[in-house]
Amino acid sequence: MRRTMVFAKRNLIEVYRDPLSWIFCIAFPIVMLIIMSIVNSAIPKEAGNTLFRIDNLAGGIAIFGQMFVMLFTAIAVAKDRNGAFLTRLYSSPMKSGNFVWGYIFPMLLTAVIQACISLAAAVVISLITDYSLNIAGLLFAVVAVIPSALMFSAIGFLFGTFFNEKAAPGICSIVISLGAMVGGIWFDVEGVGGFMYKLGRCLPFLYATRVARSAICLDFGVSEFLIPLGVVVLAAGVLTALASIVFDSRMHADQR
Amino acid sequence: MGYAIKTENLIKRYKDKTAVDGLNLSVKEGELIALLGVNGAGKTTTVKMLTCLTKPSGGKAEIMGIDISKDPDGVKRLVGVSPQDTSVAENLTVKENLEFMADLYLSKDKARSSVERTIKAFGLAEFENKKAKLLSGGYKRKLSIAMAIIGEPKVLFLDEPTLGLDVLARRQLWHEIEALKKDMTIVLTTHYMEEAQALADRIVIMNGGCVMAVGTLAELENMTGKKGLEDVFVSIAERME
Repeated sequence: MRRTMVFAKRNLIEVYRDPLSWIFCIAFPIVMLIIMSIVNSAIPKEAGNTLFRIDNLAGGIAIFGQMFVMLFTAIAVAKDRNGAFLTRLYSSPMKSGNFVWGYIFPMLLTAVIQACISLAAAVVISLITDYSLNIAGLLFAVVAVIPSALMFSAIGFLFGTFFNEKAAPGICSIVISLGAMVGGIWFDVEGVGGFMYKLGRCLPFLYATRVARSAICLDFGVSEFLIPLGVVVLAAGVLTALASIVFDSRMHADQR
Repeated sequence: MGYAIKTENLIKRYKDKTAVDGLNLSVKEGELIALLGVNGAGKTTTVKMLTCLTKPSGGKAEIMGIDISKDPDGVKRLVGVSPQDTSVAENLTVKENLEFMADLYLSKDKARSSVERTIKAFGLAEFENKKAKLLSGGYKRKLSIAMAIIGEPKVLFLDEPTLGLDVLARRQLWHEIEALKKDMTIVLTTHYMEEAQALADRIVIMNGGCVMAVGTLAELENMTGKKGLEDVFVSIAERME
């Protein structure tokens, strides 16, 4: 555990000293929150579109932001794997579990901080737009999005393990675009229906968005919260286990 | 005095290529040996096997009596490695890099005192709060070696420690390595003759994955009838051809 925390501290410092992390993990979600709120104010009430209303938008943005945490996890792992730094650490007493959690812990922390900042920004916007947000719901959402943060960190870890520093960000960008579309962040994927909705139901992103939105509204219904949460927890568990196995096998393959 | 490193017929094969072919080597505790050879001689592969970074295809090797194949974790606690490429955490400061490595090997209190001591010993105090990526090549290499010794290893492996450095930085690093000799066994790989000559107690000349000759400079000179390591090396290399 000690070595995991030592490595996690190193990774946390590396991420926080990279200005791009601040831009993509913190600033960009807030900018999107502001832009989409402006878009929402331009939509006539008669249209009945509530997707960009701050209570819906805040949940979607919380998940959208986590997708960038995935990107940074992938870059951090791929960068270390391509350089000699990991070679040095392979010759240290660190085990594969120390590496896996040493990468994932700081990203989880980043995701939680990001969720807090995004949701705090949502409160400010709600005050400006005169829409009442449930503070208890927002606080609950910070906790409810932790499983999806783990899921995205694990996906990033997997990509960083499989791909090099140049390929990993590209692959992550595809997942971010796909996740934002079928995850129902920017449009009502259920309303669109067809293949898009079917694909959304097969992937965990839509469920992650539902968990965040339901938590903000304090809606703990089975189909709106509990089942989506179960799917996300399962996906997070499976992907984290898979990431551990893949990294362990890569670590041993590197030593062959 | 016992042996810090002992290998018996150590072999490493990569598909159809044999990188190390039956290496037999004994290194006494406190000794500094230089593995000397051209590129592809098998020096780095030997270091990788002895530091458990790669598994041998055959043979046996022990570090301080511990078998590298049977107890790699035990070996990893005893060795320090400074890889060929400078391997530092670029966004961490000099001090943070050292603290990171010290915390991986030592208890918290011991780690703190080791960091202070190492910063002083390597003359890094001036740069301790500077990010590693902003250091010159020589200081980066210095930091890399400092990171390798901070865990207080019994055996230190330095893979081409002065590769690509200018003559002044190289000389400065030699002084640091000289100072380490009394505290630990050191294996240094290099293809600089003068480096091996200046630092090593014994020199191992490798080629094609095999040990061609082992001995002190005087012994190698006697063996070949040549004066100076460069002529000795050329003589041995020509004999092989």
